[in-house]
Amino acid sequence: MPKKHFRYLVLLLTLCFFSSCFQVIEEINLADNGAGTVNLTVNLSASKTRVASIMLLDSINGYKVPSKQTIQKEMDEVVAYLKNSHGISNVKKKVDFENYIASISFAFENVSNINNINQHVLKKLKVNAINNSSYTYNTVNHTFQRNYTHTKEAVTQYNKLKPEVKNVFKEATYTSIYRFEKPIMNYTNPLAKVSKTKKAILLNTGILGLINGKTNLTNKIILSP
Amino acid sequence: MKHLYKYAVTAVFAIGTLAVNAQDLAHKIPSDALIVVTLKGDNLTQLMSVKEFNNTFAGQEITKKLAESAKSNFKTVEDFGFNLSSTFYYYNRGNDSVSYNCVLAPLKNVNQFDQLFKGAEKSFTQNGKVRTFYSRDSTEVVLWNEEMVLFTKSDGKESYFSRPDVSKRLGLPAPFVPAAATDTALTTTAVADSTLVMTEPEPVIQEPVLPRKTIKRKSQKAVIKNRKRHPVKRKPAKKKIIKTEELQPEEYMTDSTAYATADSIPYHEAVDTALANSYIRNEKIKKAETARWTKNMISGYFEKSNQPSILNNKDFTKSIDQKAEVTVWISNADKLMNTYVPGSYLKGINILNGYGSANIKLYLEKSAIRMRSEITFSNEMAAVFRKLNKRKLNRKFFNYINEDKLIGYMGYAMDSKAYLEEYPKLMSQMYGAVYKDEVTLATDLFSLLLDEEAVSKVIKGDGLFIFNGLSQKDNTYQTYEYNEQNFETKAVTKTKKETLPDFLLMISTEDTRLINKLIAYGVKKNAVKEQQNYYELAVSKSPMALYFTIRDGIIFLGTNADEMKQIANHQYQASISGKHKKMLASSNFAAYFSAKKLAGKIPAEETGNSDKLAKTNKLLSSLGDIYIKSDPINGNVFSGEVSMDIPAQQQNALKYLFSIIDDTRK
Repeated sequence: MPKKHFRYLVLLLTLCFFSSCFQVIEEINLADNGAGTVNLTVNLSASKTRVASIMLLDSINGYKVPSKQTIQKEMDEVVAYLKNSHGISNVKKKVDFENYIASISFAFENVSNINNINQHVLKKLKVNAINNSSYTYNTVNHTFQRNYTHTKEAVTQYNKLKPEVKNVFKEATYTSIYRFEKPIMNYTNPLAKVSKTKKAILLNTGILGLINGKTNLTNKIILSP
Repeated sequence: MKHLYKYAVTAVFAIGTLAVNAQDLAHKIPSDALIVVTLKGDNLTQLMSVKEFNNTFAGQEITKKLAESAKSNFKTVEDFGFNLSSTFYYYNRGNDSVSYNCVLAPLKNVNQFDQLFKGAEKSFTQNGKVRTFYSRDSTEVVLWNEEMVLFTKSDGKESYFSRPDVSKRLGLPAPFVPAAATDTALTTTAVADSTLVMTEPEPVIQEPVLPRKTIKRKSQKAVIKNRKRHPVKRKPAKKKIIKTEELQPEEYMTDSTAYATADSIPYHEAVDTALANSYIRNEKIKKAETARWTKNMISGYFEKSNQPSILNNKDFTKSIDQKAEVTVWISNADKLMNTYVPGSYLKGINILNGYGSANIKLYLEKSAIRMRSEITFSNEMAAVFRKLNKRKLNRKFFNYINEDKLIGYMGYAMDSKAYLEEYPKLMSQMYGAVYKDEVTLATDLFSLLLDEEAVSKVIKGDGLFIFNGLSQKDNTYQTYEYNEQNFETKAVTKTKKETLPDFLLMISTEDTRLINKLIAYGVKKNAVKEQQNYYELAVSKSPMALYFTIRDGIIFLGTNADEMKQIANHQYQASISGKHKKMLASSNFAAYFSAKKLAGKIPAEETGNSDKLAKTNKLLSSLGDIYIKSDPINGNVFSGEVSMDIPAQQQNALKYLFSIIDDTRK
């Protein structure tokens, strides 16, 4: 539903209006058996002065500014959704209104459990550009794969925004970190970087690249047997 | 002696008027013009020669574009045949049915002007010395002789054509309203509904009201052809429409090909096409009617010599200032509003009730660009404004202005007691015609609840906002770092600079009891922090620190703690020139902004990169100081002025404006 997508996008903008702006961090810790934990964070701290002044308003530039209560309620909905999801446990949320940081963490039995969940959570956290992903882990050949497809909808919606609102995305970043129990032997995404222990891989990129489709998050990571 | 003086004035005025008549085209502007714009070509060519203009970017572009459209080898703007050192006019006439936008320009060389049309292969007719060119639908007409040219563009008004009597007389079917999927829509031929078209083909087919002749003559063949391939039920229905339609004049018939196409394409598209064609037909009728009026309006335009012209309007002649390069004159703001904003929007509410004629004059001078505007009020309205403007700016404010530091200011003085007393009357004037009872009730309640006298003692109605520039403040924020070992996340606190406005606001007060109580309450609730004779607003999420104090019958609110401390302890060093003092003291509204002073004060972080910053600083440095001020109300006339100084190295304001355009191209 494009209209719905647009609403989410707009709500994000109400939280973070001018330049500088926000970080999205996705962390997955994966065990050999395919179970693991996820931590999703949206950090608006770098713009907290502006967010604070926006939060004092009822609406800005025609967009309704959500109240603390609304944000809390939405987060509670995410938690409730997660708790009822198959294979998901240990759901925790944290909202820091001092620094404007929201995060959600949970454990999963199998990485396939999170396929729809991450999309849902990112939507609730008002981040739309990166929710077209699926994750698989093959325990036999120890291959973790993230498939990402760019959606033209993101560009269409972005183009509809007023120039000053577009600035919000200029410096916004997305970071994904995957940690494994075994060392990484090979990976396909050239933007990614492997840690010294070779057991973690990080990909840090601008959100604008994800909106316009110039950045691809797809990565096939082969772990040592 | 007194009589002699009167005669002398009359004679001078008459000679002046005759001179105007002889030299320019104002006498050709009808007396009922609603707006007249005067462009003094002679003033402009004195400020900048045609040769100089031809060398500017704008001059080159205009010449290039016109030469292209006329497919001629024009080299300068002089080649188009206009008399550039004479006066050009735009005027607008309008009534409830049509609006005419006209440009009246003096010609120097009619052959060159003819060439504009000949080159573009636009044929015109010539009758004696008068040439006429009609656009395709005849709503745009160019009429010229050897002395002048009149461009006219006419727009028929929808509000007029949608009147039932007019619509019936012209044979206009009611407009399509797709949302009106009601039973009524099914029983009348007036309304079409596209949603209904999809599900209820039979009744919907009846909707598009097409001229009987058109259908019979032009699409019958297509219908028959189509029947062979797609024996659908809609055909009889279409015949049904024909029965319900009125005969229309031949001249309004729509394009036959469109109907043929409509029948050869899927059903709903055919209906859509029919709707579109019906719309086109309506437009044609309206345009034809508008064209008829236009033709009538321009008939004998150059020959008529004894027609009452705008020069008979004293208000217009009074507004003429030979020194102004451009003058915009509006005959009556209220009338203009009522002519152009349909009554259905205003619903009888008279927003500009009491506003009369207005004018705006642009002066391009040696050292400044000035724009003066005047508006005439009705006696009642003028009386209200006189009362409101009785209060002048508190002169004690001058003790807290440091001209060396400030970048701009805005001062406003209004008698708050008079405002509270007059506000109900103003509301009554605006809304009284429609909501008389409600407005009376509300205004009585307003007066009952408010003690105007008491309120005016707390807030007297004058204030001064001083913009001292931008300041940077260190702000901490949280971000994450990832160790190289295993990308473990660690939350870290970093610092960044944020740019905030630096200002001081002063408001006059007499009775501080209420404010003192509010402060005491704020201190008790920890919303206000008491400092040395001043206070800090303790709003934790406020993006900037705010300080305030009350001294000398003034409430001070500002962003600079040191400044507030100085004010609170009577240590503030003021510095203000006579020029600014005079401007603030003599006007009810006065504002000043120095772009030059802002140059170099914008932090690099705000513009993104150093190139952008350098460009911004260059532009700011090139702009002169800007002044805005209102004048004391004179009779029933309220006036004001906006002006901008131009840099010393520029010869005059016109050349300066063109240099800005040229600079932006570099």
